[in-house]
Amino acid sequence: MRVRVRLFAGLTELAGGPEVVVDLEEGAKVRDLEDQLGRKYPRLKPLLASLAFAVDEEYKTRDYALHNNDEIALIPPISGGRDV
Amino acid sequence: MFDLTEDPLDPGPVVEDVRHPGSGAVVVFLGIVRDEDHGRRVRYLEYDSYRSMAEKEMRKVGEEVLARWPATRIAMRHRFGRLEVGETALVAAVSAPHRGDAFEACRYAIDRIKEIVPIWKKEVWEDGEAWLEGHPVQG
Repeated sequence: MRVRVRLFAGLTELAGGPEVVVDLEEGAKVRDLEDQLGRKYPRLKPLLASLAFAVDEEYKTRDYALHNNDEIALIPPISGGRDV
Repeated sequence: MFDLTEDPLDPGPVVEDVRHPGSGAVVVFLGIVRDEDHGRRVRYLEYDSYRSMAEKEMRKVGEEVLARWPATRIAMRHRFGRLEVGETALVAAVSAPHRGDAFEACRYAIDRIKEIVPIWKKEVWEDGEAWLEGHPVQG
């Protein structure tokens, strides 16, 4: 199956664009996508553990099973007003 | 009202969205682009967002607020793109029958935005730039 992966903020530069397409085995989970991205984009690899994943605009855990044509977003740590 | 815009923010319509005859208090929060961060002079900020999801997550924050403070009304509007120092990045307004709930609910909403709404900012200084590190989202 094939999924679309959207990237934001600093991740865009590391992956060379705001969107990449990834082919996965049937039944692949979010964590399989994570592994695949780490292999395909070595510059993303050190950041993957700090990311959250959203599938079709909903946060999902790494156990979530993906489907063909899913839109996945890599959500880096959210930054806006860290100080209180 | 829970949305993102590229245009300069006017607090007026956000306030009017929550104002009603039963609200004795309206608390308004403005997030402003500051001119320095950790000793570095900021030239401007660039906000990136996952716009459609950010609007959904803002609405969820609104639902959380209503679950905790049922008598409140809340509206939030966030800006994205390039913002100059002194400009408004976020307007949040909460109304309630009395001021205590309005202050508390507004504080809660702003804190939650920073935790779950997918918006990121890049600081551009005189001598460089960086996407800021923030809270990892608890998936």
